[in-house]
Amino acid sequence: MTMTLETAPTTCLPGFGPEAFEAVLAATRSKAVRARRRAAFESYLALPVPHARMEEYRRTDPARFPFARVEALPLLRAETVPPSGRPEDEEFDVVVDVSESGCAIADRSGALKDGKVTVCGLDEAGESDPETIRALLGGKAQAEPGRKYRDLVDAFWNVGLFVQVGNGIELPQGVLVRYRLRTPGVALLPRLLVDIGRGASATVVESFDGPDGCETLTVASREVYVDAGARCRLISLQEWGDEAVHVAEDWARIHRDATVDLLTMSLGGKLSKVAVGGDVCEPGSHAWMGGLFFGGEDQHFDQRTLQYHSSPDTTSKMLYKGAVSGEAHSVYQGFIQALPGAIRVDAYQTNNNLILSPEARADSIPGLLIDADDLACSHGATIGNLDEDQVFYLRARGLPDAEARKLLVLGFFEEIVERVPYRQVQDRLHKQLERKLALV
Amino acid sequence: MAILETDSKLVQEYQHGFTTEIEEDRAPDGLNEDIIRFISAKKQEPEWLLEWRLKAFRWWQKMPEPRWAHLRIDPIDYQAICYYAAPRKRGEAEGEIDPELARTFEKLGIPIEERNALAGVAVDAVFDSVSVATTHRKILEEKGIIFCSISEAVRNHPELVRKYLGTVVPLSDNYFASLNSAVFTDGSFCYIPRGVRCPVELSTYFRINALNTGQFERTLIVAEPGSYVSYLEGCTAPQRDQNQLHAAVVELIALDDAEIKYSTIQNWYAGDKDGKGGIYNFVTKRGLCQGRRSKISWTQVEAGSAITWKYPGCVLAGEGSVGEFYSVAFTNHRMQADTGTKMVHLAPHTRSTIISKGISAGESCNSYRGLVQIAPEAHHSRNHSACDSMLVGDRCSANTFPYIEAENHTSIVEHEATTSKISEEQLFYLRSRGIPESDAASLVVKGFCRDVFKTLPMEFSVEAVKLLELKLEGSIG
Repeated sequence: MTMTLETAPTTCLPGFGPEAFEAVLAATRSKAVRARRRAAFESYLALPVPHARMEEYRRTDPARFPFARVEALPLLRAETVPPSGRPEDEEFDVVVDVSESGCAIADRSGALKDGKVTVCGLDEAGESDPETIRALLGGKAQAEPGRKYRDLVDAFWNVGLFVQVGNGIELPQGVLVRYRLRTPGVALLPRLLVDIGRGASATVVESFDGPDGCETLTVASREVYVDAGARCRLISLQEWGDEAVHVAEDWARIHRDATVDLLTMSLGGKLSKVAVGGDVCEPGSHAWMGGLFFGGEDQHFDQRTLQYHSSPDTTSKMLYKGAVSGEAHSVYQGFIQALPGAIRVDAYQTNNNLILSPEARADSIPGLLIDADDLACSHGATIGNLDEDQVFYLRARGLPDAEARKLLVLGFFEEIVERVPYRQVQDRLHKQLERKLALV
Repeated sequence: MAILETDSKLVQEYQHGFTTEIEEDRAPDGLNEDIIRFISAKKQEPEWLLEWRLKAFRWWQKMPEPRWAHLRIDPIDYQAICYYAAPRKRGEAEGEIDPELARTFEKLGIPIEERNALAGVAVDAVFDSVSVATTHRKILEEKGIIFCSISEAVRNHPELVRKYLGTVVPLSDNYFASLNSAVFTDGSFCYIPRGVRCPVELSTYFRINALNTGQFERTLIVAEPGSYVSYLEGCTAPQRDQNQLHAAVVELIALDDAEIKYSTIQNWYAGDKDGKGGIYNFVTKRGLCQGRRSKISWTQVEAGSAITWKYPGCVLAGEGSVGEFYSVAFTNHRMQADTGTKMVHLAPHTRSTIISKGISAGESCNSYRGLVQIAPEAHHSRNHSACDSMLVGDRCSANTFPYIEAENHTSIVEHEATTSKISEEQLFYLRSRGIPESDAASLVVKGFCRDVFKTLPMEFSVEAVKLLELKLEGSIG
């Protein structure tokens, strides 16, 4: 790659210039992965660094992303380890632990033994099955081009995982990927590639956590391919400590009669910007996307969605629920997009927000971009506080005011929480929500 | 579906597309400080207004053209436009108007002569750059109401104009508003004294006639405490192959307990079916509910223009004030519209309602764009927005871009929007009862717009329904 000195500094984020790229390329073994990194790097270079005057970033200033204060971890290699026996792992077939020191894959149920299900490092997968990786890494799921931070991860990722479920295989419990950072000043760039075969079904859960007071930066890129008739659930649970910054982008491509559930829950971190997109690209495909965010103190959450209907006879539903207290600020923005010819489409988009304290702020920007006629696309957005009649009803039945309010907020979020098919994860969510409510 | 296809043979001809042959008095094309001085001198304006215009011009030169709207706009050559064109007086007696002009307005159905007047409507008609007649003057004068062209107001009531001009839409507000502030030629001025309920509807009719001119009108309405006024605005232009620019600014100010109702039927020439010609309608309209319990209500029927860029808004600065926005935006052929409203809640107990109906047919593109903002001080405020879009044909597009920003935890904001095509079931129901296809479709569309049409004053409501029927012809049935 040749480039002039002028272009490099203006479009590169601090620490992610040509030199750093050469280093990460040298550490990558698979040719297929290297080729994709190069293509992503070129696209990354061609895009301007996002700034607060761009429409998408007007409410979430990218200058707050601490690129200048963090250093990227070196490329982490995945290794196989024996299962830990921790009770919280019991609900999963495969558990992957990622930290600054490495990436360990533990096969708890023996699901990986016969080779029909794969969970391995992305570089390793590129070496053993270059054809598949080359085809999947083409970025086909990423319906929206020109996304700076996604291209950054696709070029520079320092931990990559590949999850593949063979045709007709049902993975009963699913895969948990747990990211933990304990060292301040590091940047983690995880890249996850999921491929669910024809008629297969699987759940992948990602969780992120770290201690308070530890400044880290995570920029994640996930890509999911759901083949005909398959079902896939992708859940992400963000519980970083109060100094972490989290940027993530998920894309799913859903084929004929297949279904995807994309569930995003954002609770931790100082600043979080998450974008989720689903391309229902063949008739009969369905995308459900949703999640919750609960901001307290000075937290900032930015949630972006795209329900991308590139094919006729497709459906999508979206539900995001958010609450803000303290001086927190939340931003929801998203679109339903129907391309020309995408007829008989049914799409709905809902965003409900609670503002629980005087200094908090919530912005909601739902949108419709419709280029086809025979369809039904709608959205609804609300912003308000708890319904005082409901509070009164509960108090009339002897509940103290604070308890009544807590119950109503938990009830507000339950619609999302109950979609998580793991008891342990639900319990953790409830605990987190209650902890946040105690501070309101 | 045969009935939903646009049949080019049936495409509705633009009714108001004739031109009027009159001698005009025009400024040389182009824009510079000398042109602004020329306009100001023509209008015999005081020094402060010239200074204000020049200040706006200097701002405008430094500003970039806005690019954020969902519109494809061919580059506009601001130096190729004539910024002042007036019908030349042929030496008629004072108070009389050119018979040629009178005939034009008669063709348009505008009652300039009082004997022809529709009962209850006072009209100020603006032809290219100047206001030609104002009717019903006597009744208004008795009540102390001032209704005249803005140039007249500058001459006769300079203190009022100076006090309010640019207070709602400052000269640096946006690109087109700054341009307007620099070169505005005419428009209406309306002042309703304390406690007066204006007995007639006030109306302005705008028409662009001259070739290559822009129309830059400026309307200012001030409602003193406890007063009420209903103001109507209509627009047409001749059919021409070139695009013409219309960049107006409308400012409304409602003081304590005052109410202003502002209705627009916009039927500028929209270009032919291939998108050739038509008016660029780039308008800044804003109302300031300055007083407590004041109310400003916008109703618009946007049926013309090649490109519409318009967001009539309300700044709810008075405690308990109310803002309303009712809109029907119709686009056909290659028309583009990016229109909506801004409701800025600054004071406690403020309320706003938004009802927007978008209808797109042909290959047009129709977008709703709105902002609802609740400031931290605006406690116990309320907004409800409903934006529905209807698609007629499979080559048009409909978009919705609502922005909601809430910074108060005691306020409630609700927004809903739907997009769908004209309902097959409803059409089938009507047809099975013997109503022909095209009538059925037009009935469904009228029903779709009913919530907005019912807020229009009677004369306008009738006109709006007729206009929509004409526009729909050829698209449905």
